[in-house]
Amino acid sequence: MNSLVEMRNITKKFPGVTALKGVNFDVRPGEVHILLGENGAGKSTLMKMLSGAYEPTEGTMVANGKEFPRFTPKISQDNGISIIYQELSVINEISIQENIFVGKLLTKRIAGIPVVDNASMRRRTEEVLREIGLDRKPNVPVGQLSISEKQMVEIAKAVAFDAKVIIMDEPTTSLTTEEINHLYEIIDNLKKQGKGIVFISHKLDEVLTVGDRVTILKDGAYVGTYPISEMDEDRLVKLMVGREIKGSHLKNPNKDYGDEIIFEAKNITRKDNKVRNVSFQLRKGEILGFSGLVGAGRTELMEAIFGARPIKSGEMYLYGRKLDIKSTYQAVKEGIVLVTENRRETGFSPYHSIKQNMVQAKGLKEAKFNGLSGLIHEKEEQAVAEEQAEAMQVKCASLSQIITELSGGNQQKVILGRWMASNPELIIFDEPTKGIDVGTKSEIYKLMRRLAEQGKGVLVVSSEMPELLSTCDRIIVMNDGQSRGEFDNADATEEELVRVATMA
Amino acid sequence: MSKNENTKIKKSFNDYWNSYSTVAILILMLIVFSILKPSAFANVPNYIKIIEQSSIYILLACGEFFAIILGGIDLSVSSVMALSGVVCAKLMVAGWHPVAAVIVGIFLFGGLVGAINGMLINITKLPPFIITLGSQSIFRGLTYILSEARSVSGISTGFTQFVGGKIGGVIPMPIIIALIVAGLVIFFTTKTKAGRNIYALGGNPQSAYFAGITTNTHQLVCFIISGICASLAGMVNIARLSSAEPNAGTGFETYAIAAVIIGGTSFFGGQGTVWKVVIGGIIIGTINNGLNMVGLSSYYQQMAMGALIIMAVTLDRFFGASKNK
Repeated sequence: MNSLVEMRNITKKFPGVTALKGVNFDVRPGEVHILLGENGAGKSTLMKMLSGAYEPTEGTMVANGKEFPRFTPKISQDNGISIIYQELSVINEISIQENIFVGKLLTKRIAGIPVVDNASMRRRTEEVLREIGLDRKPNVPVGQLSISEKQMVEIAKAVAFDAKVIIMDEPTTSLTTEEINHLYEIIDNLKKQGKGIVFISHKLDEVLTVGDRVTILKDGAYVGTYPISEMDEDRLVKLMVGREIKGSHLKNPNKDYGDEIIFEAKNITRKDNKVRNVSFQLRKGEILGFSGLVGAGRTELMEAIFGARPIKSGEMYLYGRKLDIKSTYQAVKEGIVLVTENRRETGFSPYHSIKQNMVQAKGLKEAKFNGLSGLIHEKEEQAVAEEQAEAMQVKCASLSQIITELSGGNQQKVILGRWMASNPELIIFDEPTKGIDVGTKSEIYKLMRRLAEQGKGVLVVSSEMPELLSTCDRIIVMNDGQSRGEFDNADATEEELVRVATMA
Repeated sequence: MSKNENTKIKKSFNDYWNSYSTVAILILMLIVFSILKPSAFANVPNYIKIIEQSSIYILLACGEFFAIILGGIDLSVSSVMALSGVVCAKLMVAGWHPVAAVIVGIFLFGGLVGAINGMLINITKLPPFIITLGSQSIFRGLTYILSEARSVSGISTGFTQFVGGKIGGVIPMPIIIALIVAGLVIFFTTKTKAGRNIYALGGNPQSAYFAGITTNTHQLVCFIISGICASLAGMVNIARLSSAEPNAGTGFETYAIAAVIIGGTSFFGGQGTVWKVVIGGIIIGTINNGLNMVGLSSYYQQMAMGALIIMAVTLDRFFGASKNK
């Protein structure tokens, strides 16, 4: 069978990293081809080459039997490739019909002047909506539709312009079971019309339900393409995670915890329900890790503990003392700090020097009146900053350098120093090594261990399973805003963590 | 990827521009007007007069600075100035005394009005532009109602002679008041933790919140300061004129914003220096004074002011620290 589109031996290098190595991928008419892989495996990068956004460093792209060194957005469009992104790109303010024809409005000529041909567009929209089973009038503003309906508008858009290959990037993430079933029906229908569907996912059950073939990527490498009929969950997980285990388990997981509980969360539920009924205990001397997929509620849980987002119900205890934290300021006062996932957006103060960033938390902890009181003492600040820069081994020309001049690893060290200066009791690390060089990584792991040994509480959120397995004494797996499983380091394997994280 | 090795950072034109642009504009202006009107413009009494005329701009700009450092704006300063002036005059005409108590009362009143702005912004989460655009109109309307749209005269002479008078017959009191306020604001922004937190908040509100800064409280404080500064400007204004005009200061928010921006404050928040804003205020006064002497009407002054704002922000865009935004 001829493929609609094919990618041969694709390699993509970015400065410093190889995002994809030797990947083969093709889409045949009337099939659902699943693209499976963990976060960061290279799925989006591969699809961006199909859409023409990226240029492959090596490899060949083939469409309709013609070879191209790369696709441009134009080539991609001309060959009927259409992508439905996870963040839908519909325009809420305008109608369904205008969304479908946006940028390609049909026109007719009245007295030689081209005007918008609403009647034709309405007719065509009605047809397409009927075809995919969306029972809405073409003139309804998209803002009034549910998320699943908006997604259907995107599909309608692809269908209206006769797309041959429709790529769906994790289309079921925000859908209910009923809506998912409806989506499957639509996909079935599209298959019958001979369209090729690329379905990106990491939910194993749906992969097995909806797919015909599956291509698996792992850390940018091509694992292989297999018929779904030969697959089951265990095999998928093995292939996804790989047999060889990167990194190693913790050498001496701390099992002799005292009975002392540093921190306890009881039935934490966030106001926005992104975290529901999560309970856990953190024992003195241990590092507790949180595993799960992006969007499973790990970061959201940490934000709630740190007081950055409101909780609806639940209780928190630090050393047995009940906490009532309603703001980040109160958390810092209580000695709870959060090293956030995104340094640039929620990490440092961009126009401040290393020193000014370093002394921020200590200053707040000492201040009264909601953090308003207190004078700046230059000498004391210099001393605090020097001490932390030394302890964290920040590499910089001077402490008055603006923080944005530093590398990611050094910025992270400044943030760590900032929190350490405030002498916290519970330190939460959210993806602490994201975008950080290997050397700094191991320093951060050592710091975590040191803190735990000093009797401080350490929580770690990470999407890198080897990182969790090599640093945490215990690992909690979150899935869909809930805690779904808890493993001692010795019992945890990547396969098991993935299984729980992807369980429906 | 870090530039750790390069200990000494080369000073580029951008750095010089960042440090001295405001002073350069002022000097340039002084030179131009001195050439155009050497006798009338370039003499010490006139310089003192310029600074005295600038004192209201400086006061308003000191408050406006806090709104802009947050990445916001306060369009209501001119109305708060007029409202405070009218309330102050009314109280004194009604026989409230001592005058010192009235002054303290108006000071607090300005803070209260600013707090209303701040609380509305905190509660609604709307941009300060929207809230203060609305409150500007509300406060101006209130000013007309309280004054019955007439100027309020009969202000205690003790007040006008003190606030509008001259120390030692040479240095006008408004200059002293503006400098004291500027001094306090400089101290607050450079020597207190709250001041630095405000810069952090303006630089990146998300980061500031995740660093534990009470963003709402600090924002409220900023608008309270803005209100207080405007009320002081209002009192200085009625003392200089010996009466309170309900339409006083109409359009002065533009001058205040201009002074802050010409003073090198980033319109995107997080970066700015108060002493330069003070120079910015003096630049506004110089333009008014100089163009008057050259014989151009106030209409031209308005145009000049507008052109200068656009110029200052454009230059900042190309050379300033915010160019990377």
